[in-house]
Amino acid sequence: MNRLNVTLGQGSWGGSALRRFSRSTAAMLLCVVVVGYVALGIASSGSFFEGPSVRVFLQYLATPILIGLAQMVALCVGQLNLAVGALGGFTACLMGVLMADHGVPAGVAVIVGLLTATAIGLATGVAIVGTQINGFIVTLATMTILLGAQYRLTGTRTVDGYSRTLRDFGTAAPLNIPLVFVTALVAAALLAAFMYRTVAGRRLLAAGGNPLAARLSGISTDRQIVAAHTLSGLLIGVAAVTATASLPGVNRSVGGDWLLPSFAAPIIGGVALTGGSIAVLGTVLAAFVTRLIDAARAQFSLDPSWVNLLIGLVVLGTVAGGRLHQTRLEKSATTDGAVLPQTGGAQ
Amino acid sequence: MSGTVLLECEDLVKVFPGVRALDGVGLRLTAGSVHALLGENGAGKSTLIKVLTGVHSPDGGRLTWNGQQVHLRSPLEATRTGIGVVHQERNLIPGFSVAENITLQNPPSHRGLVDREAMTAPAVACLAELGVDLDPQRPVRELSVAQQQLVEIAKALYTESRVLLLDEPTASLSPQETERLFEVIRRLAARGACVVFVSHKLEEVFEVCDTVTVLRDGKSVLESSPLADHTHDDIVGLMVGRAHAATEMRPRTVDHTATPTLVLDKVSTAGGHRDISLEVRPGEIVGLYGLVGAGRSELVKAVLGLDRITGGEVRVHGSPVRITSPRQALHEFGIGYVTENRKEEGVFLEQPIIRNITVTVWKRLAKALGFVSAREERDVAQDLVDRLGIRVTGLGQNAGELSGGNQQKVSLAKWLAADTKLLVIDEPTVGVDVRTKRAFHELIWDLARDGLPILLISSDLAEMVTLADRIVVMTDHRIRGELDNDRDYDRMSGRVIRLIHDRDAVRS
Repeated sequence: MNRLNVTLGQGSWGGSALRRFSRSTAAMLLCVVVVGYVALGIASSGSFFEGPSVRVFLQYLATPILIGLAQMVALCVGQLNLAVGALGGFTACLMGVLMADHGVPAGVAVIVGLLTATAIGLATGVAIVGTQINGFIVTLATMTILLGAQYRLTGTRTVDGYSRTLRDFGTAAPLNIPLVFVTALVAAALLAAFMYRTVAGRRLLAAGGNPLAARLSGISTDRQIVAAHTLSGLLIGVAAVTATASLPGVNRSVGGDWLLPSFAAPIIGGVALTGGSIAVLGTVLAAFVTRLIDAARAQFSLDPSWVNLLIGLVVLGTVAGGRLHQTRLEKSATTDGAVLPQTGGAQ
Repeated sequence: MSGTVLLECEDLVKVFPGVRALDGVGLRLTAGSVHALLGENGAGKSTLIKVLTGVHSPDGGRLTWNGQQVHLRSPLEATRTGIGVVHQERNLIPGFSVAENITLQNPPSHRGLVDREAMTAPAVACLAELGVDLDPQRPVRELSVAQQQLVEIAKALYTESRVLLLDEPTASLSPQETERLFEVIRRLAARGACVVFVSHKLEEVFEVCDTVTVLRDGKSVLESSPLADHTHDDIVGLMVGRAHAATEMRPRTVDHTATPTLVLDKVSTAGGHRDISLEVRPGEIVGLYGLVGAGRSELVKAVLGLDRITGGEVRVHGSPVRITSPRQALHEFGIGYVTENRKEEGVFLEQPIIRNITVTVWKRLAKALGFVSAREERDVAQDLVDRLGIRVTGLGQNAGELSGGNQQKVSLAKWLAADTKLLVIDEPTVGVDVRTKRAFHELIWDLARDGLPILLISSDLAEMVTLADRIVVMTDHRIRGELDNDRDYDRMSGRVIRLIHDRDAVRS
């Protein structure tokens, strides 16, 4: 097959890209999403294909997509971010309190929220690089601090009755496609463009893929870690905005159940935990899959515990499958290496 | 060939904790020449290359570029100056395409956006220069080791350097690929660049190089001299040196009729070893010599059950065995392994010496409910500290506070405490000073004298000749030959080096 690529030259690029896609995780997930959706539609005797159902389905897909992407950005430089849920919850509560208690206009509150989340991401990255402490521990600490801050902001009450404008944005759904979902897709598209097309994005991936090689090529790995956490913070900020817009009110439980899905989406989507790889489409589709599981539970009124059980199993299965694939690759690589010098020596 | 001097260094010094890796190295690289940089393991070649490319900063000496003194603070600065390099380690981003890896140092971009179209053309040009047919869009992780190496060379060509340093570039290439690389090297030199070529294969050096610098123990013993003035044997002599005198030890004889303690019979492993046969008898020191990457430690690890043995037979005390873990190797067969990497694998740095020594015998000392008597533990440890002459302030001192040599002794003591029947010692004296080295040699020698069979892995040829009774030479995961050691350093070193370099000459 490789020989074919070489002889066909440039013309085969599109073909090989298509072939590569057909073998990718994203293609497999796309099939799962389509089949699952159709199956749910048939099981609900068509009601699942109707406008309102579609709208609800997509409405609650925005946040999982965004937090999955936020985690993916951290994973791509070989870091992980345990503070995804805490930072999202804190930002949502901050915006809610600003609007409801201090009468800040929605636009200003959203900007303040986005800036705060980005700044906290930046601070996390700087702390990791500056102290040389493992990112796991640093984000664990920021998570705990932010949980405390979130509780401080809202206490036990639920902040509601904030800005009409933001609410309208949260529920608006032209052609039954919610705006918050569009926001998530736009964020995903921008992120993909950033990662695949810009020099800054390529640096992030290079530093995650082989830190030593990146350093020897003049790329500062420290700077990339800070950049990744900052970008992760910004995406969490966007997730907080969509959550605040679509939820009836914000309280201290917002963000509490974000951590598992934030890892599940990129891992199912085909992102390696060791860094250096991203899968924007895969992550988005994986968020679809987990949302489908949730929708199926509602449809068949299953016990909610099934959802977590199923998602957990899918994550475990994906990781185990990836690991198997990896060992197979390594095995074929070592036989390659052992065979090549031999044939060379004989000639 | 006498072009202008591009890069010159004088008296370069680089000190790492415990070792003077470079100790007065001089090198003069002239335009239009192909310069061989030679030396045995640990002579300082890779360190020199890292200093010349801004990875390490030198602790002394001068670097001049085109007659002006320069300080290279980072790899990027070296590249900008015009020094390109292919390091010995893999330096590719696995998830990136071939084209992107080649252009990584300076990706074609427009207002912060990567221009993928513009990436392909120069990448294809660099690959074509090497005569390689590779789809530039393929991710590097899908390539074979040899292809990856070619991509690394293409990456160095892309920077269009005046000085190009190649550290073991041919290690995983086939003869044809190597030949094509040589053509490129000659072409580059003809265009006025200087190519520095590091290789362990002397035939290759004589084929492509015209100037030579030889390093030994961090010093340049031959500096930028025309290669035509020297013969193969001259160069080997310079590499190994004549100053090493074999140290006198108390006489020791090996009973050749005794049953070998360990026999490997045509063993092959999942790691790529083929047809490995060797035996170690009681009281015998068998040396396993080879260059870094020859697969010596990997072989031992496979025997201890850390990798799969795929063929052949391992016999301990005459009976075939199947060892599945180092734990089983120690408790059932009494095989102890003193690792090369003592900081990471050999000692518990944060633990007191006493615990470091007795960890292998807790099972034996343990009474009911796993209780270990502190007194017995102390007795065992104190006995070994005395026997090995480990300099400590007390048994409670942390192993991490000891000097490198004493740490190594602690990691050895641990195995002696366990009453091992066979000891595998991997690179015992890397990074220790001459006096400790000498003490250590005596220690190993006396252990063998008391009847302990020892398999010694070392890249230090002088150490091999001093200690081993037989030297087994290994390259590329295969055994190239076995030599009876007559402890005459000049003769032995020549024979060993020849066994490594002229692989076709000796297959006896």
